[in-house]
Amino acid sequence: MNNLINASPEHIISNHSPVPPLASLRLPGDLAMWFFILAELTVFAILFIGFAIAEQHQSDVFSLGKTQLHQMSGLINTLALITSSYFVAIALRAMHLEQGKKSASLLVVAKFFACIYIGVKVWEYLTLLNQGIDIETNTFFTLYFMITCFHLMHVLLGMVILFFVAIKAAKGGYDKNNISGFESGASYWHMVDLLWIILFPLIYVI
Amino acid sequence: MLFNKDGINSTAIRLFLICILTGSIMSSLFSTKKNTVSWLYLLLLTVISAYSGTFNFFDDNKQVFVLFVLFIVFLKGQKIVDIFMELIEAPKLWRRLLLGYVILLPVIIACIYLL
Repeated sequence: MNNLINASPEHIISNHSPVPPLASLRLPGDLAMWFFILAELTVFAILFIGFAIAEQHQSDVFSLGKTQLHQMSGLINTLALITSSYFVAIALRAMHLEQGKKSASLLVVAKFFACIYIGVKVWEYLTLLNQGIDIETNTFFTLYFMITCFHLMHVLLGMVILFFVAIKAAKGGYDKNNISGFESGASYWHMVDLLWIILFPLIYVI
Repeated sequence: MLFNKDGINSTAIRLFLICILTGSIMSSLFSTKKNTVSWLYLLLLTVISAYSGTFNFFDDNKQVFVLFVLFIVFLKGQKIVDIFMELIEAPKLWRRLLLGYVILLPVIIACIYLL
């Protein structure tokens, strides 16, 4: 397992920051969380590919379905999740500086933006249901409700994780050398954001 | 299409402005320039992607439109993986796995739509 964590025979080349020295290459968070993230990404990849294939078979149904969605709510949700992810990233940065209370406050702001996402999503579902559209309406809405509900459940799980991380951070439960749990929670939250930035164009934009 | 529902449109604009304002404050408070620049970049790409269809940037050329939107997905995914997830400082294997995901998945979806 250690080989997986430390596997890096050469430097990482990037345009965005100086090349980190080999000794500093470290996987943030627990290895188990990264395997879990890979498993989640794989499941969603299958759903996204299934959606794209279904759209090719029933293009008329999918085109009509997309016009019945509220595109602006999808945009609001994308902005909210990206902003939430940003606050989690700077909360982790604050935690690296051992500023537990500031970090916990930033996580609360992150959860506020996540609540915007949840509120808009629920509003969107209710609007569709009031129009008589549900999961059995057609293939498009079956996949739409299935994929977005599945993603919403991940958002809710992420919020529960961030809740416990924030409490522990506020109590001073993390420090520079004991931050793995915080990093794992943050990585999970960024995965939720990553999934949405693929889901949004696929279901709402294209 | 995006401009037809005024109420929620103004909500989105307000949310966008609140995001910019809070980000500026946070950036000055916590010196997180790299994260803040990445976040603004992600917001900008999101808005461009969402409105590219509405403003008909590609003269109804669906294929170019799909490629453009999926390319933006890759750009955003790369930023989340490298900066937010901090995998730019992680072992190469893990960074490659996640970057591979944000490259391969849009490519597969593009192939399904275009071939």
